This record gives sequence, structure tokens and C-alpha cells, in this order.
Amino acid sequence: MITLRHITSYFTLISLVFGSITPTVSLAKEPSLPKVVAQPFGYLRVKVVDGRTFHPLNHAQVVLVETGERYRTDQRGLTPWIKAPVLRSARFSRLVDELHGQLSLIAYKTGYRDSIHLGVRMNEGERSKVTIWQYQIERLRDTRVEPILFQEPYHRLWLIKLADHFRTKTELGEGYERPD
Amino acid sequence: MRISYLFIPLLLAIVSPSLTYAQTIEYKIGSTGFPSTIRVAIRENNTFGEPDPRGRIIYVTTVNFDQYCRDVLPNEWFPTWHLAALEAGAIAIKMFGWYHHLHPVTVDGFTFDVDNTVNFQLYRALSDQEKTDFAYQNTRNLAYVKPDQTIFELNYRAGYENNANWQYRNAQKMSQWGSQYWANLGKTPLEILNFYYQNRALTTIPNVGRG
Repeated sequence: MITLRHITSYFTLISLVFGSITPTVSLAKEPSLPKVVAQPFGYLRVKVVDGRTFHPLNHAQVVLVETGERYRTDQRGLTPWIKAPVLRSARFSRLVDELHGQLSLIAYKTGYRDSIHLGVRMNEGERSKVTIWQYQIERLRDTRVEPILFQEPYHRLWLIKLADHFRTKTELGEGYERPD
Repeated sequence: MRISYLFIPLLLAIVSPSLTYAQTIEYKIGSTGFPSTIRVAIRENNTFGEPDPRGRIIYVTTVNFDQYCRDVLPNEWFPTWHLAALEAGAIAIKMFGWYHHLHPVTVDGFTFDVDNTVNFQLYRALSDQEKTDFAYQNTRNLAYVKPDQTIFELNYRAGYENNANWQYRNAQKMSQWGSQYWANLGKTPLEILNFYYQNRALTTIPNVGRG
């Protein structure tokens, strides 16, 4: 004979079992990985110059890798102002807020080595300028012609913050507390 | 042997005045012109393409002084910061460069004013940005000097974010994060400079415009 008491005990038992399991289940979940989110836009203008003479290069093609959009330089070596996303790396989002986003550019021009420029700094609503150097191909000297990489680093102020983030009291580094 | 020892104080007495003179020579606003160029030593990059402060000097390039300052400011201060912080930074960078232009050094056979690394100020050719250019032009005609107009090495360090960085006060160094902190609180560039450098004065540079 199943009584109300039996039913109550049954549900109590079930709730206890699930209650004890629940924490295990939640721990077993895949951790929520940080995601790269496109932040609001900034504005970018690219100048392409001859790497040896610094003269502006007309009709160079500039590709913004993250969007795939293509732009052409004018006689001053300049692209138009480009509305471009500000993409911050998710790797550091839980540690130290990045001071700037980063974009990637490729410049093409016939007779010149391709230039790949990584780490172009971008900030929300701000106008950024970047110069790309391209080197003319010399037929007799350049036997193996491959793209040239320019890697723009993180800003030094952010690098200092990052190092400070993990610094222990015994790792004085520059010694900010005693600037003398 | 004993006689030669007797000569040492005599030699020191002869040499000392000239050494002392060389070390204490001072340049003042008005009696020394605004630099038109600056000699920048370019150091070799490390394996991954970053200028190495301990790398060999590859060559020395002569750079327009204004362009040098404009190409340092966005690499030292952060280009999106408050304009007052950028203007304080622009004055610091200019005065640091000017001081070293007046006090060149010779290393490994190269004579130069500054190098392109944090040994002096981080310089990247053609890296200037609109906002930092604006801050530099706004303050181009201003010098921050000792009360007798002597140009001194106006030094700075990063410091901590969201902090006044009091430890830098009186240490002849401005905190870069501190400049942003004070600018956000409404301080002017002069008030920021006066906080970090005691007993100094802002003056205009004769025959130099705002650019």
C-alpha cells in the first residue's frame, strides 16, 4: 500500500540524489571560454611607402585581413579613412585589459615584395594611422621573393602592466616604488 | 716611487677643473637654439624583430626634431589618453630629447644624441598619430625648465594605473599613468608637470611657434 508518506519519502530521496549530483554536473561542464567579440569601430588610414626611399606608392592594394575589404592608395600613398573593427585578443581579457585592439593588413604592388603588417593598433572611435613599407624587387639580387612581415608590438605601457600582474613582492623588476 | 705619488694630487688639481667644467655646463632657453634635428642611434633588433636596448648600434640617422618628438609620443604615452596628459607628455618628450641633443654621447665609435629604445625614448619612424601630433603642436612653443631657464633632463616612467603615483614626486620623474590620472581629474598639463617636478617653470621658447 503506497501511502502519502511513501510518496513524500520517495521525492525527498530523489531530490537528495539530484541535489548531490548537481554540483558534480556543473563542475563537469565545459568552461566558458573567452570569445573574441568585435567591439565598436575605429578609423584607420594606411600609407604605403617605398621602404628604401620613403616615397609614397600610388596604386598599391591594401587588404584588411579581418574584413577582407580591399583599398587602393592614391598619389600620396594613402588609402581613404577605413571604418574598421576594434578586435581585442580574448587571451588576456581576464588578466589585464588590452589598451588597444589589433588588425592585420597586407599590401600588394606589382614589382614590390608583399608586406604583411600585423598588430595594427585600433581604439574605439579613434583615428589611427599606419605606414607600410614595401621593398622593390631587384631581379638580380632577390632570388627568393616572399612576403615581408612587420609585427607591431603591444604598447609598452600594456606590457609593463602585464608583467606587473604576475609580479610577486620579491620580484622587484624596475622597482616602481623607488623610482630613483 | 714616492715621488710619483706626489704628482698625483698635482695632476688631479690640473685635470679636475676641466672635468668639472665639462660636467656642469648648462644650457639655457634663449641662449641655445631650438634643435632642428636630432641624431638617433638605431640598435639592432632582437630575434623577433624588436629593437634591443642592449643590441649593437647599426647606424646613426639624423631626424627632424619635431618629427622625432611626434614619432616618440604615441609610443611612450597612449594615444587615446586625455589631451592634458598627452600635452604633459609632449613637453616631457621634447625636453628630454632637447637635453640629450645638448649632451651627445659616443658609444662603440658612434656619436649620437639618443637611441631608438627605452635607453632613451622609444622611437619608431613614421608612427605619429593625429591626437598625439595635436598635443605636440599645442605645446611646441613651451619649455619646462629650471627657474633660471636651464634645460634639464625631464625624465619619466610608467608607474601604476589609476594612481597618482606619489612615489615619483620629487624624484625628477613623471609617472605616465599618473599624468592620465591627474588629467582625468581635470588637471592642466602645467599642474601635472608641477606635481612631479618641484621648483620648475614653464616658459615660452623664443622664435618657436606652436606648429
